[in-house]
Amino acid sequence: MLQVALAQVKQHARRFIAVALAVVMAVGFLTATLMVNASTEASLGNSVGAGFRNADLVVSSGLDKPLDERAAEAVADADGVAEVYVQQQTHVAFGAAGEASYGALQNTAPSAGLDHLELIEGTLPGSAEVAVDDATAERLALTVGSQLEFAPGAGMAAAEDVAASGIPATVSAIVKASKDPLMMGQPQFFGTSGLIAALAGEQAPVQVRSIQLDLAAGTDTATAKDAVAAALAAAGFAEPTVNTAAEQTKEVVASFTGGTDQLTIVLLAFALVAVLVSALVVANTFSVLIAQRTRELALLRCIGADRGQIRRSVLVEALLVGVVASVIGVLGAVGLMAGIIAVLQGRPDTEFAALAVPPLAVAVGLVTGVVMTVLAALAPARAATAVAPLAALRPAEDVRVGNRKGKVRLGFGIALVVGGAVVLGLGALNANLLIALPGGAMSFIGLLLCATLFVPPLVTAIGALARPLGVPGKLAAVNAVRNPGRTSATATALLIGVTLVVMMMTGAQTARTAFESELSAQYPVDISIGNLAEDGGQLDEAAVQTALTYDGVAAAGLITTGGYATLNGQRTGVYQLTPAQRELLQDHSLTLDADTVLLAEGSGLDTLTVTGSSGSKELRVVEVSSFSFPPLMSSAVAEEIGVPAPAAADSEEYYSSLPQLWLSVDRDLDATALMELRSELAAGLNVQDYQTSGAAIERAAFNQIIDVLLLVVTGLLAVAVLIALVGVANTLSLSVLERTQESSLLRALGLTRNQLRGMLALEAVLIAGVAALIGSGLGILYGWLGAQSALGTFTAVVPDVPWLQLGAVLAVAVVAGLLASVMPARRAARLSPVEGLATV
Amino acid sequence: MTTSTEQSLASGASNGSGKSTAAAATQALNKTYGTGDTRVHALKNVDVAFQSGKFTAIMGPSGSGKSTLMHCLAGLDTADSGKIWIGGTEITALNDNQLTKLRRERVGFVFQAFNLVSTLTAEQNITLPIALAGGTVDKEWFRYVTSTLGLADRLTHRPHELSGGQQQRVAVARALLTRPDVIFGDEPTGNLDSKVGAEVLSLLRRSATEMGQSIIMVTHDPVAASYADRVVLMNDGALVGELERPGTEQILAALAKLGA
Repeated sequence: MLQVALAQVKQHARRFIAVALAVVMAVGFLTATLMVNASTEASLGNSVGAGFRNADLVVSSGLDKPLDERAAEAVADADGVAEVYVQQQTHVAFGAAGEASYGALQNTAPSAGLDHLELIEGTLPGSAEVAVDDATAERLALTVGSQLEFAPGAGMAAAEDVAASGIPATVSAIVKASKDPLMMGQPQFFGTSGLIAALAGEQAPVQVRSIQLDLAAGTDTATAKDAVAAALAAAGFAEPTVNTAAEQTKEVVASFTGGTDQLTIVLLAFALVAVLVSALVVANTFSVLIAQRTRELALLRCIGADRGQIRRSVLVEALLVGVVASVIGVLGAVGLMAGIIAVLQGRPDTEFAALAVPPLAVAVGLVTGVVMTVLAALAPARAATAVAPLAALRPAEDVRVGNRKGKVRLGFGIALVVGGAVVLGLGALNANLLIALPGGAMSFIGLLLCATLFVPPLVTAIGALARPLGVPGKLAAVNAVRNPGRTSATATALLIGVTLVVMMMTGAQTARTAFESELSAQYPVDISIGNLAEDGGQLDEAAVQTALTYDGVAAAGLITTGGYATLNGQRTGVYQLTPAQRELLQDHSLTLDADTVLLAEGSGLDTLTVTGSSGSKELRVVEVSSFSFPPLMSSAVAEEIGVPAPAAADSEEYYSSLPQLWLSVDRDLDATALMELRSELAAGLNVQDYQTSGAAIERAAFNQIIDVLLLVVTGLLAVAVLIALVGVANTLSLSVLERTQESSLLRALGLTRNQLRGMLALEAVLIAGVAALIGSGLGILYGWLGAQSALGTFTAVVPDVPWLQLGAVLAVAVVAGLLASVMPARRAARLSPVEGLATV
Repeated sequence: MTTSTEQSLASGASNGSGKSTAAAATQALNKTYGTGDTRVHALKNVDVAFQSGKFTAIMGPSGSGKSTLMHCLAGLDTADSGKIWIGGTEITALNDNQLTKLRRERVGFVFQAFNLVSTLTAEQNITLPIALAGGTVDKEWFRYVTSTLGLADRLTHRPHELSGGQQQRVAVARALLTRPDVIFGDEPTGNLDSKVGAEVLSLLRRSATEMGQSIIMVTHDPVAASYADRVVLMNDGALVGELERPGTEQILAALAKLGA
């Protein structure tokens, strides 16, 4: 039987391409995900280890006291230690070409054995000499022999100060920039310990980063380690750790990478979806392949193959395809990662990137791919054993593989849908994502299990729309549900991806809307600019005119103090708002009468007495549901009590009574434009970016985050959708193969080649379109309930459907369906009627 | 057992041997399809024995039950009542695995079409039943069979590289290789032109004569049936007569009588 299985795969390799492709993508995704973490660690190790890559042992400081020269002396006397390098680093100011700037200065190793610098040209620095990294040398046009001045790196140092009082040094060498994270991203200098000592001071203390040791030849590392630790303890250093260079790298990397594990887990979830979808495609393809081989299987049964042999034969085929595809998938993942790493290595900021191929990632990828493929083939293999030997003697059309497990599956599916829906509903009602999540997953799996209940009827219903297209349309509608199980399985694979994508889109959109209404309530206006300008000046009417010149600013107003009051024991300004300025408010429902004052939430007051220049008035407090809302009253009140003089610069109420500039912006500004507008405004009005706040800005920042997240998630789910589309193309092409005679008969009866192609295209579009439609509906529902569960406690969640994105998803599904039909349709149409009918 | 043998001798041919020693035999075999109005009595109390080492043809008009009889005899289909023997073994009570074993060791098949596994070479197809049983091929017998059937230079070809006649000869070789108790042929020449058909029939004839192979063939072609030692006639699910070494004319006449 092995012979039969091998021959199958070899002879019909093309039929297995789709299976292999689905497996390759899923395995590749999974393996790449697992490699991300390892490569991140390797890259970091590359970077972290750069400073001590030649050391035998590295002593790093503990918490009790930093390492110093005394520790170095103690270590030097320990048995087996040949050379000691106390690696020091300090922050320096340096003058070059009449300009001052800042950088890091590190001492060089006392011996070549511990040296970690990569010389490009020149010689290692002696006294009054430094080596400089290549990037800085190029930027500042430094060459070997250039003169520099160094000063302690803290405090403001003007160029002339550095030049006048700095310690002169000559560039003796250009070295390759260190990838050490504490050195990277700034000018790097390497000099003698003497230079560092001369520059050390209270403001820029010398930091002993580590003591690196070179061991005498033949010394056992473990013994030396103990000796060094003992020497340190004797000298009063209890905490320092003594590691080999490799151990040290590992330790430092571990302290950095807590976060990448999270990333790996999230990515793995998406990889799991891809694996699931590809299992569906594999199962479906094998079912179709079995159905097509019914006759051959029956013949095998006739001439003496027992059920076990048939089952094993199918599983061996699956195993073969699984192994080959998994190997390709893993290789593809390695290739992809290598490509990404190569690109990163080419960029100066990330040139320490390193590829790591952990054996575990390879093993998990291979095992998952193979096991998944074989598991997915189990059901088709069982169906194959159900083929009766007698089937070999019957005409082909009568042969159908039955599904006895159907009822059990449907029952189980319906139970899951009902149970899951209840749990999901509970989670949404209580705004508890931890309850909603399993409920949603349960109901979704249930729906997938009973897809045969609703997918074929929907395809038929929507297929009715194709009727006006004549015979091809009618035939396409009928053909699409000719084999309901197969149609359902094909649609299901696509359904999963589309549902998840739409769920994410709807969830994001709903969350966005919820946050926007929340933000509108939090901030009085789109943008408010407050406080003093950088030169100490206050905002005035001229600022309003300046603001109005920027594109995107719809209206602007200067809000000034109309009186003073005591709030929470603090004298504070109460701003006045003219009727015209009311339009600037986010919440137009807020009213300001002659006897009310608006206060932020939580004042605990019923009335507030506001004092002006000529009198005071007790105003009724209206609280707004926001905490960043300044006290606000109508300008009419200010006139009544007399607008007071501005507060003195040293008074308690000074900062809370400075004029503010309030702006409303055009509604259609997108996040990027808004952020640009913010920077332009800040620059134009001579204030800092942070002084501009408001709902519009928060909205933009929030939207940017959501958009990026959505983009990433959609990209990750796209893999699953792609795999599913391979499934659509595959099912169609196998169906076409099955219907060769029928297609030829239709051609003989007068169907044109184009009509035949159109018919198949319609069939594919119907299946893909219905899957996308159902997926969209489910995705909207799940997205809304998910957002409700996640955000329900913070804010009211109103479902908001991103129609444009939804349209795009549907369009992609339909176009992909069309594309999927191209190859099969071409093959079907190429056959001449006579040839097709002759094929038995 | 004795009585049934006597009955079969009485009802069957004068030269028939006992059922337990016949290549294949049935006793009081009944089978119906469908229910109610669509109920068809495919086999009515069929008692028949097929002599070992002989070439027998089963003939009858469409729907006469000849195919059903063969399916039941070969263990491919089950009867409602009655007994079936293959080479002395009663198969009526066997389960699927036992039937499978019986098929690959003691029965050979030659069908009208779809005889071969398209992905395997001619040689692989011929040795497939032995491979399935996990046995070893009798090399000498294999060479004898394949050279007798004129397949020696076609063994590495796949079915689609062979003519219809060659494909049928590969099927015959496959059936012969296991030296089964009986080879069943279901219209083995139905898809062949008359010249190639004659070639295949001669081969079957020679297999019976020279190798002593028992063959039971269902056909509606009087020319094909004329190669047989004995022709069993069926109509409406029952045996209605038989002819010994008949000519084509004789068969046509007997069939015409059935149709009337």
